[in-house]
Amino acid sequence: MITQYLFYFLTFTAIFCALLVVFSKNPIYSALYLIVTFFATAGHYFLLNAQFLGAVHVIVYAGAIMVLFIYVIMMLNLNKEVEPHKSNIIKIAATVCGGILGLVLIAALRETELGEITEYSNNGIGLIEKLGNVLFGAYMVPFEISTVLFLSAMVGAVFLSKKNIH
Amino acid sequence: MILNDFFIFMKQELMLLFIIFLLLLIKVGKDRSNESLLYLINLLLLINVIAGFILPGEGSLFSDMFRTNPLIALEKNMLNIGTLIISMQSYSWLKSHKHLLEFYILMISTLLGMFYMISSGNLLMFYLGLELSSIPLAALVNFDLEKKASSEAAMKFILSSAFSSGLLLFGVSLIYGTTGSLAYAEITSHLSTDPLQIFAFVLFLAGFAFKISAVPFHFWTADVYEGAPVAITSYLSVISKGAVLFVFVSVLYTVFKPLADVWYGMLFVLSISTIIIGNLFAIRQDNFKRFLAFSSIAQVGFILVGISGSSSMGTAAVIYFVLIYIFSNLGAFGVVSIVSSLTGKERISDYKSFYKTNPFLSWILTIALFSLAGVPPAAGFFGKFFLLIAGAEKGNYLLISIAALNMIVSFYYYLRIVKSVFMEPNESPIESLTIPLISKVALYICLLGIVILGLWSVVYDYIFTLSPIF
Amino acid sequence: MEIIKGVPLTSYILLCSMLFSIGVLGVLYRRNALVIFMCIELMLNSVNLLLVAFSRYYSDSNAQVFVFFIMAVAAAEVSVGLAILMMIYRNTKTTDIDALNKLKF
Repeated sequence: MITQYLFYFLTFTAIFCALLVVFSKNPIYSALYLIVTFFATAGHYFLLNAQFLGAVHVIVYAGAIMVLFIYVIMMLNLNKEVEPHKSNIIKIAATVCGGILGLVLIAALRETELGEITEYSNNGIGLIEKLGNVLFGAYMVPFEISTVLFLSAMVGAVFLSKKNIH
Repeated sequence: MILNDFFIFMKQELMLLFIIFLLLLIKVGKDRSNESLLYLINLLLLINVIAGFILPGEGSLFSDMFRTNPLIALEKNMLNIGTLIISMQSYSWLKSHKHLLEFYILMISTLLGMFYMISSGNLLMFYLGLELSSIPLAALVNFDLEKKASSEAAMKFILSSAFSSGLLLFGVSLIYGTTGSLAYAEITSHLSTDPLQIFAFVLFLAGFAFKISAVPFHFWTADVYEGAPVAITSYLSVISKGAVLFVFVSVLYTVFKPLADVWYGMLFVLSISTIIIGNLFAIRQDNFKRFLAFSSIAQVGFILVGISGSSSMGTAAVIYFVLIYIFSNLGAFGVVSIVSSLTGKERISDYKSFYKTNPFLSWILTIALFSLAGVPPAAGFFGKFFLLIAGAEKGNYLLISIAALNMIVSFYYYLRIVKSVFMEPNESPIESLTIPLISKVALYICLLGIVILGLWSVVYDYIFTLSPIF
Repeated sequence: MEIIKGVPLTSYILLCSMLFSIGVLGVLYRRNALVIFMCIELMLNSVNLLLVAFSRYYSDSNAQVFVFFIMAVAAAEVSVGLAILMMIYRNTKTTDIDALNKLKF
C-alpha cells in the first residue's frame, strides 16, 4: 500500500518538475527544478531496491553534473532578461511533436502484454556485492574502455579551454 | 590458452592503446619539433596498418563482449588505411600547428571506439564504442580555435549527436525490456513484430540514420562539414560513416532478422529520399567542403539501396563500396586539403583552370571525381554496379530505376567541376603548389586504390567469400 | 513472508515515456543551449529509470551495469559539451542557438 502511495507521489513530482524545467523562463530555475527531478528519480531507484544505483545517481548527477551546469550559468550570468525565446509557431510545433512522440509510445505500449513486479525478492540484485561481481566479471572490457573515454574527454575539454593567442 | 587468445584477437586495439599512451607520455615530456613527431606518428600508424594484416583470428572473448572474425579484421584494416591516408594528407596543415599531439590522441581514441563498436557482441559495448567514437570527435571538430565557424559546427555536432544517442538509447532499453537480454545472440530469438519492439527498432534506426546522415536526419551534415578543418571533415565523411555502416549492416542482418519485412519499407523510403535530396542540394553548392558533404549524402543513399536488398550480396557489396569510397573520397579531400592548407581557398570557383598550374593535383581530383560519379574504368562504377545488383534482389525495380536516374543527375555536378578545372579561364588561378613528399605518396595510394580495385577482381571475391549468408 | 503487491511494469514504462517526451519537447522548445543540454540529460535519465525497472522485472543485474555506463558517458558528454559552449560564448557573447547562423544553408 505504501509502495503505491510513494510511487504516485514520486511520479507526480518527477513529471511536474520536468515540465517546469522546460517551461520556466529563468535558466537557473530550470537547473534547480532539474535537481528536484533527479531526486525524485533517485527515490524511484530506492523504491525498486536498486540502492547502490540510487546513491550513485545522486552523487554523479545532482552532485557533479548539475554543479557544472550551475557553475556555467553563474559564470555567464544568465537570467530572465537575456533569455531568448522561440516564436510562438515554433513553440506550438514543438509541443505537437513532443506530444505525438509520447502518444505513439503510449499507443505502442497498450498492445503489449507485460507483467508486474510483484514480490520483494531476496536475490539482492541491487546490492553492491552482486553488482560489483557482474561489473568486474563479465563487463571488464567496457569498464576499461570507459577509462579511455574519460581520458579523451579530459584531453578534449582541456584543449578547448586554451586561450587562442593571436 | 586464454592469454594468447587475448593478445592475438585484440592486437589492433592494443596497438592503438599503445599509441595513445605513447603520445600522452611524449606530451608531458620535453618539447620536440613538429616534423620529427609527425614522422614518428605516421610511422607508427603505418606499422599499425601492416600488423593488422597478420594472423587474423576468429573467436569471441569475455562472454561475447568482443568478437572477431576475418571479415571484422578486414573492416578494421580498411579504417586503419583510411586513417593513415588522412594523417599523411594533413601533413602540411599539422606541421605548423601548436596542438599536434591532442589531434592525434583524440583521433586515435575515436578510432579505438569504432573498433570496439564493430567487434561488439553486446548492446552495452556497442553503445560505449559509439559514444567513444563521437565525443572526442566533437572536440576535434572545434580544432581551429581561432575560427568562429569551427565552434559553431562543433556545437551543432554535439547537440545533434547527444540528442540522437538519447533516442537510440531509449530504443535499446525497450529492446532489452521486451527481450530480456543485451547480447546479440539472445535478442534475435525473442524478437517478434510486437508494436513496442517495432517502435524500439524505429528509434534505433533514427540513431543510426543520424550517424550516416540519411535524409530526414542530415541537417547537421553540411554545416559541420563546412565548419570543421578539412582533415576532420574527411575523417567524418569517410571513417566515421564507414564504421557505422559496417555495424549497421551486421546488426540489421543478424539481430533484426525477424523484423526484415518491417525494415525493408523504412529503408526504401530512406534511400530514395536520401539520393534525391543529396543530389538536389549538391547541384547548387559553391564551397567545396559543403559540396562533398552533399555528395557523400547521395553516396549513402546508394549504400542504403544495396542494404535494403538484404541478399547475401548485400554485405559484400556494401563493404566493397565503402573500400572504394574511402579511396575516392580521400583522393578528392586530399586535393582540397592541400590547396586549403597552402593557400586557404575553398570555393569551387577558385578551382577554375587549376590544370594550368597544378597538373598532378588536377589529374588526381579528376580521377577521384570520376570514381565518385561512377564512370566506368574507375572503381566507383563497379561499386555502384554491385550495390544496384544487391538492391534488385527483392524485385523492386522502381527503387533501382530511381537510383540509376539519379546517378545520371550526379554526373552533372561531378563533371561540372572537372570541366571548370580543365576548361574555364581564370584571371587569378591558384598558384603552383609544392606538395610535401608524404602527401604526394598518400595521393598516389588513393590513385592506385581507385585504379586497381575496380579491375582486379580478387578483392571483391575475397570479400564475398568472407561475408555471411543472410 | 507475505507477497507485497508491487507496481505494474506498465506504469514504469508510462512514466519513462512521459519523461522522455518531455525531454524531447524541451530540446525542441528552448533556445538557450544550456537548457537544451539539461533536457538531453532528462532524456538520458528516463532511459536509466526504464532500465532499472526492467532489471527488477527480470531479476537481471546486467541492466543496472548498463545504467552505470550511461551515467559515465553522460558525464563525459556534458564536460565536452560545456567546453564547446564556453567557446561559443567567447565568440558570440550569447548562448542563443539562433546566433549560430554564420554557416549559411
